[in-house]
Amino acid sequence: MSKQQNSDASEKTEQSLETREYSVGEILKQRGVSRRDFLKFCTAMTAAMSLPASFATSVAQALDEVKRPTLVWLNFQDCTGDSEALLRAANPTVGEIILDILSVDYHETIMAAAGHQADEALESTITKYKGKYLCVVEGSISMKDDGVYGCTSGKTHLEIARKVCGSAAATIAIGTCAAYGGIAAAVPNPTGAVGVKDAVPGATVINLPGCPCNADNLTATIVHYLVFGKIPALDGKGRPLFAYGKRIHDNCERRPHFDAGQYVEHWGDNAHRKGFCLYKMGCKGPATFHNCPTQRYNEKTSWPVASGHGCAGCSEPQFWDTMGPMYKRLPNVPGFGIEQTADKIGLGMAVGVGAAFAVHGVISALRKDKKPEETREG
Amino acid sequence: MARIVVDPITRIEGHLRIEAEIEGGFIKDAWSSATMFRGIEKILRGRDPRDAWFWTQRFCGVCTTVHSIASVRAVEDALKIKIPPNAQLIRNIIMGIQNVQDHVIHFYHLHALDWVDITSGLKADPTKTAALAASLSDWPNNSATYFKAVQDKVKAFVASGRLGPFANAYWGHPAYKLPPEANLMATAHYLEALEWQKDVIKIHAILGSKNPHPQSFLVGGMSIPIDPDSQNALNADKLMEIKRLLKKAQDFVEKVYIPDLLAVASFYKEWAAIGGGLGNYMSYGEFPDANGNLWFPSGALLDKDLSKVITVDQGKIAEYVDHSWFEGAGTGKGLHPFDGETEVRYTGPKPPYANLDTNAKYSFVKSPRYEEKAMEVGPLARILVAYASGHKETKAVVDLVLGKLGVGAPALFSTLGRTAARGIDALLIAQQTPKWLDELIGNISKGDYRIHNNERWDPSTWPTEAKGYGFHEAPRGALGHWIKIKDQKIQNYQAVVPSTWNASPRDAKGQRGAYEAALVGTPVADANKPLEILRTIHSFDPCLACAVHVMDVDGNEVVRVKVS
Amino acid sequence: MSEPLIFKRYYVWQLPVRICHWVNALSVLLLSISGFLIGYPVIVGSSPESFLMGWVRFIHFVAGYALIISVISRLLWSLNDHCFSGWREYFPFLTREGRKQILVMLKFYFFIDRKTPDAVGHNQLAVTAYVGLFLIFFGMFVSGFALYAEYAPGGTMHAVLNPVYLILSTQTLHLYHHIGMWLIICFVINHIYSVWLLDIKEKGGEITSIFSGYKYTTKVHVFSEGKECDENGCFIKVKK
Repeated sequence: MSKQQNSDASEKTEQSLETREYSVGEILKQRGVSRRDFLKFCTAMTAAMSLPASFATSVAQALDEVKRPTLVWLNFQDCTGDSEALLRAANPTVGEIILDILSVDYHETIMAAAGHQADEALESTITKYKGKYLCVVEGSISMKDDGVYGCTSGKTHLEIARKVCGSAAATIAIGTCAAYGGIAAAVPNPTGAVGVKDAVPGATVINLPGCPCNADNLTATIVHYLVFGKIPALDGKGRPLFAYGKRIHDNCERRPHFDAGQYVEHWGDNAHRKGFCLYKMGCKGPATFHNCPTQRYNEKTSWPVASGHGCAGCSEPQFWDTMGPMYKRLPNVPGFGIEQTADKIGLGMAVGVGAAFAVHGVISALRKDKKPEETREG
Repeated sequence: MARIVVDPITRIEGHLRIEAEIEGGFIKDAWSSATMFRGIEKILRGRDPRDAWFWTQRFCGVCTTVHSIASVRAVEDALKIKIPPNAQLIRNIIMGIQNVQDHVIHFYHLHALDWVDITSGLKADPTKTAALAASLSDWPNNSATYFKAVQDKVKAFVASGRLGPFANAYWGHPAYKLPPEANLMATAHYLEALEWQKDVIKIHAILGSKNPHPQSFLVGGMSIPIDPDSQNALNADKLMEIKRLLKKAQDFVEKVYIPDLLAVASFYKEWAAIGGGLGNYMSYGEFPDANGNLWFPSGALLDKDLSKVITVDQGKIAEYVDHSWFEGAGTGKGLHPFDGETEVRYTGPKPPYANLDTNAKYSFVKSPRYEEKAMEVGPLARILVAYASGHKETKAVVDLVLGKLGVGAPALFSTLGRTAARGIDALLIAQQTPKWLDELIGNISKGDYRIHNNERWDPSTWPTEAKGYGFHEAPRGALGHWIKIKDQKIQNYQAVVPSTWNASPRDAKGQRGAYEAALVGTPVADANKPLEILRTIHSFDPCLACAVHVMDVDGNEVVRVKVS
Repeated sequence: MSEPLIFKRYYVWQLPVRICHWVNALSVLLLSISGFLIGYPVIVGSSPESFLMGWVRFIHFVAGYALIISVISRLLWSLNDHCFSGWREYFPFLTREGRKQILVMLKFYFFIDRKTPDAVGHNQLAVTAYVGLFLIFFGMFVSGFALYAEYAPGGTMHAVLNPVYLILSTQTLHLYHHIGMWLIICFVINHIYSVWLLDIKEKGGEITSIFSGYKYTTKVHVFSEGKECDENGCFIKVKK
């Protein structure tokens, strides 16, 4: 194809954009997706959002009316794990997201354009759809030394975030890094990494923490926004209640073993093989709010506890510091050795106090008491 | 002479910037810069060594298992832990499918658009496309109806007026040479691979709870229990599911990936003479059996000499920071990963900037060198080392591929060679992984359910000081982790990853890194649309989040611990 | 010859005070044992149908409620006008005279002096320690109920405690909760020892007083406002 033809195509593209925008439902139809498959998708979404099944029809109706909305995806101090999670999405698949449901105008990991052409794509999108597009941020944002620890096309991530998140309809902070600073923000936080809300205080932010985020929660959030026209209800930490409203421990398939007092003591022991509770192996399920036990990963194939490993608490703010060490029930006490748990220190303290008083008692017993006369004088 | 900048380099992991000087339509010189830094190794200090794998896994979410593997190996080496055979086999299966899936995603979703013009596929004749596809393999989807449906899909997408991630690309660039039918076929397989990859990687979910970032690694083994009589462990049902998915992976590689690769390569044979670069290759070898013998051999090649394979010694690795935004003793002389002493210090231009000062420091990536030589790592290095070492399976496949393309072995030292080697690697591993599964099933049927060695789990059994390293031949190449443990805590942690080798800036002697060397001499038809740069850079499959890190050791303590 | 010593009998601990004391003691004992077992389950259930951990946690929660009710009751009771249980007696460190008596007690403990403070009810140092203990109790209630309420996010208790979750992570709460237990255990050791020591040294029936309510002493309690009290613990007018 010659350059001339190419520019013709893009002109045509512009034209059709001006004249007509298609709803998600229409696009799906054009794309040959049957009504049945579309409704199936709506039902799955309804379930993901913890809505009663009867809502599936209204989800379908709403999606029918929604135009294919614009989404830009920014990668900052990240590991691309959340983008990879998006590639594993099943309801809908990433192919459907890109081709049918959204217009993903910027995503460095998948987009064809590079260099200044990529830059221009971002620039024109946020200008054209100012205040209307959705923004997804992956990775934390470095604030130290004016943000030089994260640059794309010569601009700091901080500058990009302020500009792009600032004029988005809503920003989804995907993964614990974007939500709360994540691993880069762990002590001693060498780059002054923070989450989106801290970097761009004015932005409307939905936090979808997790390491990485469960793609089903991302798609459910987007659909929630499209269908109901508003962001989902959030908890105190900015997370949608439909996905983070319950503690892992309270939804865990191994909970009966916890209540029964049946615990894994060693990796590979009989209790481990029989699926007993991983509480004593340091599982952080009792301290973590996430829908892993029910939503699971990779098309509901599994989740950490089902693979015999404890929960790491990855959806909680600062979990890297507060949830570690991974194989212990409690965090370490600052200033003490790695094996010094709060209880070892406490026990030492109690023994010390007991010993001190025992000595005191011996001395007191040996010491001559005051004569009663002297009492009077005092 | 024109200086061009490509930033962001898209369709990679992480933040990479390439600056290049172009003269007479060819790249005269190039600089590779990583522009994002997190400092995870510094963060790791003082933490439990048993947790390290979980942290280092977050170096990268694309090659999501590799840092866990290297990390548990480093700790196991330091603490002298031998893992049970089943744990080794499970790790091999996890690594195997990681390789295959990663390579396919790279080929179709990160690299293909450098060779395939999707828009040209709209003009293709679906019947001819089906004929073309059928001539390559007996894949069931090779029908005109199928390609027609894909074409209609793409047409409808383009007609919708929103090109999304496919907007603003180099479509129509003169360097695109595939006929419309080949473009349509590749586009169809782009979409098919998208579906395929999320299925086959479920093996990670079965063995490791999820992907990305599987969570069943342990120092001393794996956490996924084995018990054919339990529903909470690896049982016949789950093993058969893995078998089915491995078959699916193998089928796709054999019937789609390799035929597509050969078909595309046959139109771009001139790229077998472009992008050769350093000519030094290194591989750590991978896939140990129960006795620790590696299936892929370890070794290094110098100056494209296939007749002499050098034994790799981890003691000969050193890192330089002369052109990296760090300060410390790594300037002027290289430091072994155990002995590094470096602090991050950004001295680049104040953002927003147009150009970096490439005479000074210009990247967050350091420059690792092997005996002061810059090395290229990756599937090409792995395949070349195996080929030169006389690895039977590798030799057969390489000769077959070279034969089909009608080129000799020297053609491998190129951009096209790198892309081809990745396919060869995927094919070899896709065919080998089911054998490890069979071995695992064999062990289980003999009643061996061991998955973890508990002897050294409790930190009170550890020596006061210990150090070790873990090598892993990751999809992107030679990966090494070095750990020093003191008082049951991480005293220092250091990773030298594949993209550190490949994306490295110049060293003390001014020697270029692999990307930089490979770009020199690459033709650029349109400086405004440097598609050729993307081809060569993408042929390495860059993964920058891994590559950028900091080693950070208290200098005083280094002196006390001697390097073995 | 000196005059014979006159030991006067005072009604120091009213019945509600004694009840609260023993409810506190029993709940702390139960909370510590059950709490320890929750942190380090040594119990091994025989089948998934057993509910051992469930019961241990149930005991912990019931004892927790008992303790908070007891502590609140005691705080309410301190609003009465009794000399030895009223709230005024709890802050001797705020007055000069009170601080002097605290110093007397400290000197006694460190073998510097043999004199014990002029106290009939709680001595001034002990009462200061009890204020500290109640503060630890408060911390335990906040951390304990914050952890407890996580089973029902969105519930009233969770909503009320929301500021706690924003400041401290669940794991940090767990950590503080454990440390709090050890502080209380240290207090208990101290408390039992001191009671035993003063029972011997002051010969006033320190130990029996928490059962009977009566103490015998030759002393006159020093109140901050210069008040005096009668043998029933009621304030009497000060004669100047």
